[in-house]
Amino acid sequence: MAVFLIIFPTLMALIGGDVTLASRVLILATFGLGVDLIFGFTGLLSFGQAAFYGTGGFVAGYLMLQHIVPNTLLALGIGTVAAALCGAVIGALSLRQVGVYFAMLTLAFGELFFFLENSPLRAFTVGESGLPGVPRATIPLGFTTIDCTSAIGTYTFIAVIYFLGYLLMRRIIASPFGRVLRAILENPERAAASGHDTLRYKLVAFTIAAAYAGIAGGLLGVFQGYMPPDAFGIDQSGEIIVVTVIGGAGTLIGPLVGAFVWIYLQHALQNVSAISGIWKLILGLIFVGLITGFRRGIVGGVVALVRARRKRTA
Amino acid sequence: MALVALGLTIVFGLLGFVNFAHGAIFTAGAYGGWVVYTKTDSFVLGIIAALATTFVLGIVIERLLIRSYYNRPPEDQILVTFGLAIVIVETIRAIFTGQTQMFNTPAWGNGVINVAGIFYPQYRLEVIGVVAVTLLAIYLLIYKTKIGLIVRAGIDDPLVVNLLGINVRRTFMFVFAMGAALAGLAGVFDSPLLAVNPDMGTDVLVQSFVVIVIGGVGSFGGAIVGGLIAGEIISLATAFIPDYSQALLYVAMALVLILRPQGLFGVVGRS
Repeated sequence: MAVFLIIFPTLMALIGGDVTLASRVLILATFGLGVDLIFGFTGLLSFGQAAFYGTGGFVAGYLMLQHIVPNTLLALGIGTVAAALCGAVIGALSLRQVGVYFAMLTLAFGELFFFLENSPLRAFTVGESGLPGVPRATIPLGFTTIDCTSAIGTYTFIAVIYFLGYLLMRRIIASPFGRVLRAILENPERAAASGHDTLRYKLVAFTIAAAYAGIAGGLLGVFQGYMPPDAFGIDQSGEIIVVTVIGGAGTLIGPLVGAFVWIYLQHALQNVSAISGIWKLILGLIFVGLITGFRRGIVGGVVALVRARRKRTA
Repeated sequence: MALVALGLTIVFGLLGFVNFAHGAIFTAGAYGGWVVYTKTDSFVLGIIAALATTFVLGIVIERLLIRSYYNRPPEDQILVTFGLAIVIVETIRAIFTGQTQMFNTPAWGNGVINVAGIFYPQYRLEVIGVVAVTLLAIYLLIYKTKIGLIVRAGIDDPLVVNLLGINVRRTFMFVFAMGAALAGLAGVFDSPLLAVNPDMGTDVLVQSFVVIVIGGVGSFGGAIVGGLIAGEIISLATAFIPDYSQALLYVAMALVLILRPQGLFGVVGRS
């Protein structure tokens, strides 16, 4: 994975993209890791993740912009914690329901955040125009300094965060905690009957996912130098689910693959003038096709294919 | 408002199927109505066009896609209808561009009416009347007619009803298409109030979820009462604290959920 992240911008350049595109992919992939934890590994389909993405981004962005917290890392950290706290509260309310109702509730809470951002909190978020001028600071790490004023510097910073997030997620999935989550995915009643307080496990998972969304939102602000209000939008919540599912929910690299497909196709299709207007239609069709045919996404589909191959040859 | 939520709750309550594409179908209905209305200048023809568009749309997506999803987990149903919503909305955008179109209030809806000292736009009152009649008709259809009986029996025990020589699949298709047509009807009636654009269905979808959660899932009366409550909250809040009007709706939903998780009229159970 580390090797891949180092050569990723070069690969991107080979197929007509650039470093900025690679950065976008990793931000979305970081966001998706959280969604993967709750949906792919626990079975909770949340349509309100944008609330945490936006919260993390706006809190971090506001703190940096107003020079309340000049240190970028600290501001990102605070944004992440704020997102996690929101996640804990919304999770506590929404997780009282399961399945469809859970999805509806998270959707409604996501919209609540969107409207809060747009009206009552306008003084902080500037409503519909978003937060321009989020500083692209240089980040001193003690031994070295990452310069986020250049595209490759920003990429490096985002890649480091994604890599750490990825390692942490791998650890979480492999831990006893992660095993209980998968037990909940496969059979919630049995997991509960085995003496696990499933609600608490789900709540912790939901909070972790919110934290991932929060840091991804913060990164978006640093990366763009601007925090768009769309980060709170319902389309954002939908997009991250589509990304995770296209890539393969329940696999660790699924969100990365999905984010790549989503962003790259968007970029590539928009450059073809005949179909630039309908790129989202095409991606929507791909999505519907994948759910119907390959329930486990691209990565899941490939894994299944390889396994079938091996069986035949063995 | 109640009309959209009702279409959703019928499909969900009866078929046990959640339709995230409901908002997109609402939009399709609005566009169908708008095209015919601007061409012919007849609102009635517009309504018929909206109903026809969404009913056919409902049949097509039920046959092609939804049918194979009845037995899959709810998460899959949500995902596929969500994807479907993207496809429908983007198709509309590709055909009609993303521009917002004006949908004029029909002539018979212009003017205001004085109700006990408060002035209401005439159109809104007329829409309320139409909605009430539609709701009554649907209620009678489901609970008092033979068709409704077959629908309810088919959902209770598809196998037995099938053995009795009744085509259950066709019945399901009919219910789904009816839910879609209700969304289309709501779309065309809401258009003069909202203006027509490809994304108009999103808010409507979310709000109808709120209505369902407040009213209780699968409950006919719940959808109506929930719709009224939600409508009241929005209009009262808009009058007094406009900044919080939308937010208050979700706060109300959270409150209902904490105090009475099954909704005001819901029955406990189904998950």
